[in-house]
Amino acid sequence: MTDRLKNFLWPLGFGAAFLGVWQMGWFHALLGLAPFQLPVPTEIVESLTLHLAKTLDDCAVTVSGALAGLVLGSALGFLAAVVATMFPKWGYGGLIVISALNAVPIVALSPIMNRWFSTGMEQKIGVVTVVTMAAMAINAYRGLTSLRPFSLDLMKSYAAPGSAVFFQLRLPNSLPGVFTALKINITSAMIAAIVSEYFAASTSGLGFGIKDNLRKAEMAMGWAYITVASVAGVILFLVIALIEKRVLRWHTSQTRG
Amino acid sequence: MKTNLWGVGLVWLVAVALAWEWGAHLLAVEFHDPMAGSKLPYLHAVVSTMVENSGVLFEAAEVTFTQAAIGFAMGGLIGYVLAILMSVSRTVERIAFPYLIVSQMIPVLGLAPIVFNLVRDMNASRMVIAAYITFFPVAANTLAGFKSVDDEKRTLMHSYAAGRTTTYLKLMMPFALPPLFAGLKIAAPLSVTASILVDMLGSKNGIGVKLLYALYGGNMDIFWASVVTSALLGVASYLAVLGAEKLVVPWETASGPGDGR
Repeated sequence: MTDRLKNFLWPLGFGAAFLGVWQMGWFHALLGLAPFQLPVPTEIVESLTLHLAKTLDDCAVTVSGALAGLVLGSALGFLAAVVATMFPKWGYGGLIVISALNAVPIVALSPIMNRWFSTGMEQKIGVVTVVTMAAMAINAYRGLTSLRPFSLDLMKSYAAPGSAVFFQLRLPNSLPGVFTALKINITSAMIAAIVSEYFAASTSGLGFGIKDNLRKAEMAMGWAYITVASVAGVILFLVIALIEKRVLRWHTSQTRG
Repeated sequence: MKTNLWGVGLVWLVAVALAWEWGAHLLAVEFHDPMAGSKLPYLHAVVSTMVENSGVLFEAAEVTFTQAAIGFAMGGLIGYVLAILMSVSRTVERIAFPYLIVSQMIPVLGLAPIVFNLVRDMNASRMVIAAYITFFPVAANTLAGFKSVDDEKRTLMHSYAAGRTTTYLKLMMPFALPPLFAGLKIAAPLSVTASILVDMLGSKNGIGVKLLYALYGGNMDIFWASVVTSALLGVASYLAVLGAEKLVVPWETASGPGDGR
């Protein structure tokens, strides 16, 4: 058996075994759960196929909010990094202040946004924007400033104007960091959007779906929503990784491996 | 340089505080927003509410923070053990690694209500979710740390006739400490968030409950005081890990994760 095949078959086999054990109700026996508390995989798939259109609609709501917030937050974060690069002494301190935002729990942000905005979508975008700003600011700043030795001196010896230094040296150098931040942010954007929907004025979206179905004791449906959320998260992440591969074809981090 | 950075940080803090006061003033006086008190109250008002209610807030915060810390420790330990297992056994790595990668792409906090529904006990579910969230970044980062140990170093240990245990204790584990702390730094604020989320999903005590009750009761002073307290909890958890890192890994400079290599 080749290594490649082993890499593929082992996790697949484990996953299948896990689902099998779950389906046979061994987890219920182990954890002392009643069947209605933890639906088995076939029940989840059944609910999902039955309400596929509704779940996909909700998924579209959450994803569009997450993406809008991601774009807005990442743009603001990048802007902050650029400003910090231009004023190194004061800018770095400002970035530390922004990175403190990273530690503010989403669940505390969400009610504040509910005060500021009236619709669920605006509230969601607000939360995601704040959550995604810090990672982008810090990673972009690192890329914009940690240049290769002497590259800045070389640009100076060419008498390159500030704009050329920025667009031809700093900007390309920041791209790997920007994509690292985007990959971190896409997951946190989905989490923030879903958590915001738990508490916001939304009556649609994955978070609302999860909460509402659990409230109605429709466990299988709640699990179906979780499944859709996870699949959406993986797809979005892969899309960004794919774009990264295309854009950074020239970069060593891509050519080395 | 160091004192300079502290000075800059202090100036920024003062600037943010002034901007907050000014924003609240704008909202209340210039725009005559009737909701100004709930949208953005004066910072000094929030601080004085926090001081007045410090006993109650501290008690609630303590519940939330303690459970988060216990879950954080459990998740970190399990993640660390899994990383060791994966680095020792190729088969375990084959099985677990793809799931580790995928788990970093999915919105794990979305699972919180389901876990809460399954476990039913609020203290236990706070711990379970905090542990669950801590587990992945710790396992993934520590494994990456083990893998980045140079072959020459391992060969040297081998030539000293050092056994597997010695190699791990003297070489691999110290070497993987910086990535471990990088993982812990990601996980610490997240585990606090998880704990607060469980509060808000229907616990009886904790800072999230204070926040929610104040919100529904229309008590905006307490609401804002709770929000700021939660934010401080998140920052405190991060600083605690940072402090531990400074103690345990003093040779690593303060340059943060992802630098160098």
